[in-house]
Amino acid sequence: MQSRWDIGQPERPTINSETEKLKSELLTLNMGPQHPATHGVLRVEIWTDSEIVAHAIPHLGYLHRCMEKHAENLDFRGVIPFVDRLDYLASMNMEWTYAMAIEKMLGTEVPRRAELLRILTGELQRIASHLMAFGTYALDLGAFTPFLYAFDYREKILRLFEEVSGARLLYNYIWIGGLWNDWTDDQLVRVGQFCDEMEEEAKKYHELVSLNKIFVQRTANVGVMTVEDCLDFGASGPVLRGAGMKWDLRKNAPYSLYNEFDFDVPVGTGELGQVGDCWNRYIVRMKEVGESIKIIRQVLEKLEPGPIMGKVPKVMKLPAGEVYVRAECPRGELAFHLVAKADEKTPYRLKVKSPCFTHVSMLPRVAPGQMIADFVATIGSIDIVLGEVDR
Amino acid sequence: MHKELADLINRNVSGAQAVAYIAADTKSDSSITVEASHIYKVVEFLKTNKEVSFNSLHVISGVDYMEHMEVCYMLTNYDPQAVRDLILKVKLTDRVNPAVDSIVKLFAAANFQEREVYDMFGIKFNNHPDLRRVLCPDDWEGYPLRKDYVAQKVYLGMNVYPDNKMNMEDREFIVRQDMIKKAQESKAQ
Repeated sequence: MQSRWDIGQPERPTINSETEKLKSELLTLNMGPQHPATHGVLRVEIWTDSEIVAHAIPHLGYLHRCMEKHAENLDFRGVIPFVDRLDYLASMNMEWTYAMAIEKMLGTEVPRRAELLRILTGELQRIASHLMAFGTYALDLGAFTPFLYAFDYREKILRLFEEVSGARLLYNYIWIGGLWNDWTDDQLVRVGQFCDEMEEEAKKYHELVSLNKIFVQRTANVGVMTVEDCLDFGASGPVLRGAGMKWDLRKNAPYSLYNEFDFDVPVGTGELGQVGDCWNRYIVRMKEVGESIKIIRQVLEKLEPGPIMGKVPKVMKLPAGEVYVRAECPRGELAFHLVAKADEKTPYRLKVKSPCFTHVSMLPRVAPGQMIADFVATIGSIDIVLGEVDR
Repeated sequence: MHKELADLINRNVSGAQAVAYIAADTKSDSSITVEASHIYKVVEFLKTNKEVSFNSLHVISGVDYMEHMEVCYMLTNYDPQAVRDLILKVKLTDRVNPAVDSIVKLFAAANFQEREVYDMFGIKFNNHPDLRRVLCPDDWEGYPLRKDYVAQKVYLGMNVYPDNKMNMEDREFIVRQDMIKKAQESKAQ
C-alpha cells in the first residue's frame, strides 16, 4: 500500500519578501476530527509554516455509514429514510431527488398539487439550511449572536415540518409518486406569515453581519475559488455561483415545475472583496433566501385542491436500466446514479454524487498560502455537512 | 445525440471503439462505452473538442455487474445554452487486477472520485498521484461494494461484525447470497 507521505514535498508558501525571511520548519497539525470549525467529524491534516498553511490534506470517512451498500439490500421505498440521513440539514431535498430518480424509471406522473408542495417544502428547507449556514459561519468567525437569531427562525420552519410530517429533521415525507401527507389551509397561511417575517428578519441579518466591518475583513478576499477551479473540480451550488457563474439547475435545466416560476439566480459580483471569495459565497446564500421566499409566495398563489399521490404499483419493480438524475440542493447539485435490474425489488447500485464531497476535495487547492484562521473561514464558507461527504 | 457522438469519437480517437447504447424510452438514460485502454484519450478529446466540449467531470461511479465491472464517468457541460450530460463507460473484465488509466491530469475532480472507486471496488487507476482509500480506513480488507464482498469480522482486535448483529438473517443477505454465488461462479470461469 502506498504511504500517505508519498505525495511529494509540498511547496512552501511565499507571501512576500518579509515572510520569506521568517520561514521555518514545517509543522504537522491535525485539525479535527473533533473540532468546532470543521462542522462535524472532518479531519484536515495541515502542514504549517508558523501561521501559514503549506498543505492541507482532508481525511474523510469518520461518518461513513455504508449507505450505498445498505441501499442495495433495501426495498426502493425503504431507501428514503437512509437518503434523509445524507444531508441531515436538507433532508427534504435529498428525498425529493431520490424520488425523482425512481419516478423517472417508473414513468410515474406526480399530481400537480404534490409537485407544488414539493417545491414549497424544498424551498422552505433551503431557507432553513441557509439559516444554519449563516449562523454557524458567523459562529466560526467569533460572532455568537447571529447563531441564536438564525436558530430561532430555523425552528419556525422545523415546527411547520413537524406538524406536517411528524419529525423535525428526518422526515420521510416525500414518497415515491407524491407526498405522505397534505398541508392544511391553516398551515399554508402560516407559511405565508413566515415569509413576511423572514423577509424583515433577513434585512436585520444584512445589517448585523453582511456589512459588518469585522465580518467583511475576515471574509473578503479570503479563500478565492475561481470559475476555472470550480469547473475543474466539478463544483456547483453557492460555491460556483459565488465565483460569478450564473448556473442553477432550477433555471438552466428546470425539473419539477420550476419553469413556471419567476425568480433570479444570485451570483457573486464582488461588491466587497473579489469574486469567488468567502464573502461572495456567503452573500449568494443570503440572497437565495430572498429568492426562495419569492418562489414560496408564488406556490401559495398557484395551489389548488387535488390529489397528492400518483399511481404507484404496490410491489415496486423497475425496468432494467440506469438513470442519472440531478437536482439543485442547498449545498449544490445532488445526483443519484441508479442502476436497476428487471424483477428485483432493490436497487442494483445507488451512487450518490454529493456536492460537499466535491467541495471538500477543493480544500488542498485553496489552502496553501492561507493563515490558519483564514482556513477556518474557508471551510465554513463552503458549508459542508459530513453526513453527505462520508455517506 | 449519443450515436453521432460515438461516431465522432471513433473518427478522432483511433482504437476507442465507442459504442452507443440508446435507451428504448425516457425511463432510462443512454450511454457510450469505450475501450478501457483509451479512456484518457477519449476524455481528453471530449474536453478539448470545440463542438462537444464537456467542461466538467461530475462524478465517477463504479458498478459491479459480476460478469464484468464498469466505471462510469459522468461528464457535463456547464453551458447555460445547451445543458448536456454524458454517461461514459469502460468495461473491465478482470476481477483480480482491474486497472484503468487515471484522468486526474484532465480533471482535478477525478482525484477524490477515483480514490473512492478504488476504495469501494478495488479498481486501480494508473498514474494516480495519491491512490489511497478515502472512506474506509487505510488497512481495511476487501472492497465493500463488490457483490462478492464478505465483511471483515475483526478489525484491529475489535469485533466489528458480530454474529448476533440485528436482522442479519432476515434482511441483509437475502439478495446478496445468490449474488455472491453468481460472482464466484463467473470468477471461476
